Amino acid sequence: MDNSASRSKSESTPVIEVEGLAKEYRVHDKPEGLAASVRSLFHRTSRVVEALRGVDLRVGRGEFVALLGPNGAGKTTFLKLLSGIITPSRGTARVLGHVPWVRENEFRRRFALVMGQRNQLWWDLPAAESFRLHREIYRIEPSRFTRVRDELVDLLGVRQLVLQPVRELSLGERMKLELVAALLHEPEVLFLDEPTIGLDVVAQHTIHAFLRHVQAERRVTVMLTTHYMKDVAALCERVIVITHGDILYDGSLADIVDRFTTHKIVTLDLDEVPSPARVARYGFPCEVRGPRVVLRVDRGRIAEVLPDILRDEGVRDVSVEDVPLEEIVAELFRSTRTRPVGAPAGAAP
Amino acid sequence: MSGRSVPLEPDRHVASPRLLEGLRVWCTMLAICLEERLVYRGDFLLGTAMRFLPIVTQIFLWTAVFSATSRADIAGYTRDDVVAYYLLTMLTRAFSSMPGLAGGIARSIRDGSIKKFLVQPVDFIGFLLAARVAHKLVYYAVAIVPFAAVFLLCRGYFPPPPDAPTVLVFLASLVLAFLLGFFMEATLGMLGFWVLEVSSIVFGYMLVQYLLSGHMFPIDMLAGIPTGIPGVNVADLVQWLPFGYTAYFPAAVWLGKIEGEELFRALAVEVGWVVVMAIACRAAWHRGTRRYGAFGG
Amino acid sequence: MSRYLAIFRTFARACLVRDMTFRANFLLECLTSLGWMSMNLAFYLLVFTFTPEIGAGSGWTKAPFFAFVGTGLIVNSIVQALFMPSAEELTEMVRTGGLDAVLVQPLDAQFLVSMHRVDFSSFANGLVGVGLVAWAVPRLEHAPGPIAWLVYPLTILCGVAILYGLVIMLAAATILMGRNQSLYDFWFYLTNFSRYPAEIYAGPWGGPLRAVCTFVIPILLVVNVPARVLARPLAGEAWWAVVTALLAACASLAVSRAVFQAALARYRSASS
Repeated sequence: MDNSASRSKSESTPVIEVEGLAKEYRVHDKPEGLAASVRSLFHRTSRVVEALRGVDLRVGRGEFVALLGPNGAGKTTFLKLLSGIITPSRGTARVLGHVPWVRENEFRRRFALVMGQRNQLWWDLPAAESFRLHREIYRIEPSRFTRVRDELVDLLGVRQLVLQPVRELSLGERMKLELVAALLHEPEVLFLDEPTIGLDVVAQHTIHAFLRHVQAERRVTVMLTTHYMKDVAALCERVIVITHGDILYDGSLADIVDRFTTHKIVTLDLDEVPSPARVARYGFPCEVRGPRVVLRVDRGRIAEVLPDILRDEGVRDVSVEDVPLEEIVAELFRSTRTRPVGAPAGAAP
Repeated sequence: MSGRSVPLEPDRHVASPRLLEGLRVWCTMLAICLEERLVYRGDFLLGTAMRFLPIVTQIFLWTAVFSATSRADIAGYTRDDVVAYYLLTMLTRAFSSMPGLAGGIARSIRDGSIKKFLVQPVDFIGFLLAARVAHKLVYYAVAIVPFAAVFLLCRGYFPPPPDAPTVLVFLASLVLAFLLGFFMEATLGMLGFWVLEVSSIVFGYMLVQYLLSGHMFPIDMLAGIPTGIPGVNVADLVQWLPFGYTAYFPAAVWLGKIEGEELFRALAVEVGWVVVMAIACRAAWHRGTRRYGAFGG
Repeated sequence: MSRYLAIFRTFARACLVRDMTFRANFLLECLTSLGWMSMNLAFYLLVFTFTPEIGAGSGWTKAPFFAFVGTGLIVNSIVQALFMPSAEELTEMVRTGGLDAVLVQPLDAQFLVSMHRVDFSSFANGLVGVGLVAWAVPRLEHAPGPIAWLVYPLTILCGVAILYGLVIMLAAATILMGRNQSLYDFWFYLTNFSRYPAEIYAGPWGGPLRAVCTFVIPILLVVNVPARVLARPLAGEAWWAVVTALLAACASLAVSRAVFQAALARYRSASS
């Protein structure tokens, strides 16, 4: 929607350039129930689903972009279009100057795609074998291969796992090795589709640190989809929110808070249990549990309300925070959910 | 409207709860089976039609064999008899073959989903049998189209239809073939309680079945091969085994290859095998579940 | 080209390592294919107790026929070992999105899709095929000359190429439809036509069938041409058969390649 801000921000030669990119699918309805399936013998109903409806975007070299959106919003479709797995219905895209769905080898040698829910390593063999295969496929020079592999493996602390069959590894260990495999050919663009899904906190942190390091060191352009705001907060300066195939927001993480929240969260620890009416003077009481009060206060009123509180109440402790990112994003996702989804062929969405 | 939405409320049927309940469960199962078939109708019709393709090559092969030999018949079969025989075995195998039965039982033992049947008030073998009957009925409802077309097209190869009693025996032998096939495969599947990898056993069974059931060639063609025992040939031995009753026997009955006293002896052997396999199946289930309970799943 | 060979070697090595890790399973698979094959051989032996020849005047007496069967085993085992396991896995790859990973790699997708898995156990049947040919050749009426021995492997390669083209078309259909169980059954039923000498397809029905299976879907050329080169004098008509097989192999490779590329352009990818 509002791309002017991001456009001015990106560098002179964008790595990713997208205009009017759209993808439609025709889906056949599989009816439930006996009578309906008999009817469908003669007449099959189908409708067009718009996974992506004309998206414009520019991403500069070295940017770290998060794609957010509810399930089915079109994030993964977008990544698949940019990596050339599927062809669009309309629009153009250039990644590193190549049209992705032409699938030129020069292009495919310059980027990588990691899908958190899919295993790309040989299941029954040690990851070292998969790495060797990558060396052949991407034509990596042996000396460079060894150097890059050792560096990546040490960064993630998985050197001792490389010779173990992949099926014996945990999900987190496997993900780390997937990342190593994807980065062996030193791609200039990295697409990550839910890279931290199902991982524990420690593994998530390791991967965050690793990605930050790789991106800073090599100026890789990274685009990632995720449902974890922790990933976003730790990694991305730019956030793109997609819902129903449209870009709803494109800007910095800080702006998202400014633009979409009208209040802050004030948490108070009081000396005594207050009466609800009394604290409601300062703002909307979200939670009153004993002497602990959580208030929602208008951003504009914070400056005048805080002194009042500190003066009139016996305050032990106070904190002022932004609304949690999860909540803002959830609100964003919800805000457009009521909008009708394009459904020709007369079928209800 | 939907077959799936039939509620299962046993309390409402006070008169004869068990029977009615069973019937309702079975009707639901039938409806779901039918739905499944209809969703994949393209696959299904194509799949059924394709099963006749190997018969086409078999017919040409036998025509070539007959063209090169001076005799009018081979082991009592004329060329037309052979064609009719292969078409009839297609029919009998539509009754006796149980795709996925043994493998399915073994899998549910291995992955533990068999526990469900240890907990629920359902007889496992009864449930499997009902499901199979539903499955087969639906199969026939749709497969009758390609079958009728092929049989009509090839009616010239068939001898005049046999008399009414023979037709009755033929129909009985089809039902028995179904039961025999079911209990043999189910028993094989139950071996999963003792052996981890049943697939190799199933494979061995299928090999023997393929060779000795008459699926490949009429088993009375083995009459020319001696066993080493004086006066006894391979065909004599094979007729005492259960395999032939799942493909050869009904076809041979229709073609009038087996008559009179021989027919009754064969029918008795078949009934005997059905009883033996049904008992074996139940025994395997009882011992297997006891073992399963003892060692834990 | 050498890069593709290197990659294929890596694939083959990995599959061998895997097979050796699960040795019992590997042996079982060998036994499986050997078992089915011996059932069929038993059937042919039985048939030859009733007739001296398959098809009057066709010349397919016992020795030439078993040379034919052996040739068929060799061709099919090559296809089964090199291409079928990969193609069968394709359904799973389309369903789970594994194909996505293939498409982002800087490598020919058809190569990856059709050759990333090698099933070494399928070579067992090929060895039996070689044995059958070795048994049959000294018993042939016309011993194959040196030229025949040169042309024989070439026509076997043609047969493999024709079948490979069919496998690739199946793969294309899988990519378009997302599932293909009946299609694989169809493959087996179709190749079934190639299992017997072309002469058996005679008469008002057999003639057209033979023509279709020679010129439209050249499945009859797969085993018949090499077997004929070995078992018959190589002259006149036989050379035409060899030329036809060569042309059919080229056509099969070209057409299947085009179909596969068209299918990839329409790939929908599984939603995650």
